[in-house]
Amino acid sequence: MPGDGNQMTERAPEGVRADEALLVVRAGEGDEEAFEALVRRHSPAMLQLAVRLLGDRADAEDAVQDAFVSAWRKLPEFRRDASFHTWLYRIVTNRCLNRLRSRRPAADLDSVPEQAAPEHQASPARAVESRAAADALAGAMAGLSPEQRVCWVLREMQGLSYESIADTVGISLQAVRGRVFRARRYLTEAMSAWR
Amino acid sequence: MAMSANPDRPEESRYEEEERLACGRLLSDVWDAGDTGRAADDPHLSVCPHCSAALAELTGLGDAVRRTCAEEPGVPEATTAAITARVMDLVRLELRPGRPLPLGGPEEDHWIVEAAAARLLRAAVDALPGVRAGSCRIEPLDPADPTGPVHVRVEVAAALDRSLPDLADAVRARIAEVADRDIGIRLGAADVLVVDILDEDDVGDDGGTGGERGEGDEYDRYGTGGAAR
Repeated sequence: MPGDGNQMTERAPEGVRADEALLVVRAGEGDEEAFEALVRRHSPAMLQLAVRLLGDRADAEDAVQDAFVSAWRKLPEFRRDASFHTWLYRIVTNRCLNRLRSRRPAADLDSVPEQAAPEHQASPARAVESRAAADALAGAMAGLSPEQRVCWVLREMQGLSYESIADTVGISLQAVRGRVFRARRYLTEAMSAWR
Repeated sequence: MAMSANPDRPEESRYEEEERLACGRLLSDVWDAGDTGRAADDPHLSVCPHCSAALAELTGLGDAVRRTCAEEPGVPEATTAAITARVMDLVRLELRPGRPLPLGGPEEDHWIVEAAAARLLRAAVDALPGVRAGSCRIEPLDPADPTGPVHVRVEVAAALDRSLPDLADAVRARIAEVADRDIGIRLGAADVLVVDILDEDDVGDDGGTGGERGEGDEYDRYGTGGAAR
């Protein structure tokens, strides 16, 4: 089931999330402990986002680390009425987009992600099938352009609306729709070859 | 120049025309219908072999996405800890100078950076029951006299278990005590601004503004490892 095995989630109880505004203000005024609490809280969701965008765990960890340091530098200018999570999400996404753009095309063919295979002892056949589907999709995703990949991942894996993607990436709604459409067309073709 | 032939039409804007199925429908329209659950409203889509095939391909892709998300390993606590440690190592290397504030009397030449003094004052305010400090700014009371007494402005979130003037007095008294005894800055004035109310739940476990969730809701909802649908 989607979401299983992801207990680290962002969905902390309200009481735990509630002091976020205070932590953000404190961090913006140079309070390192407050920032550390924010980093710890947001790391899992940001890492998951980066892994999906980049398809590589080590690369994703570097991107998230860079994004947090960049956030620390920019925090004094952070608008209080904005959502910290959304702001961070944007920084991570754009870091990842830049990393995708700077990858040499030849390297892409080798960068199919390695993921630890979870134990599915109850249903090995199904696990193999799922894993094969995941591998095929990961391989196909490597053929997308950086822009298509980012828009498609935000839409299909992260579940964002077209509007939110436009806002996050800083492009028009129409451009988002075009990129998601082309990514889908490319991926359905690639996946039908697999099936 | 090829690009100037259609200045108002970026390349993305005509993606709809890119693929028309043999039945005349646009692939983008068919997928949009599948996307939004409207496919059942249009009898053509289930009858037409081209449209049904296109919808089946989209469903197949969606299945692969769901399986991929289900197969993703979670983020181990050790990874979160390692990332946090690396980020904080880098953050602590960054010099953020900040305003120096005079320590002790005017004749002494000891200083403390505003952020460090603010951290001590916030911790002191946090120690009061039912109060959490947010912003804490400290600057010379008289800008023309950088070695003179300081002006503290602190924002707090507070429980509603006592009157706000009482609460503000308690916070001011606490700041005066810590500024003088623990830090050694001369306090000229302290303003206390209550910016948020602590819920009852927050008060007991040392934290919380009772703040509402904002525009990030959508990002939160989907940030957790599942496919969208």
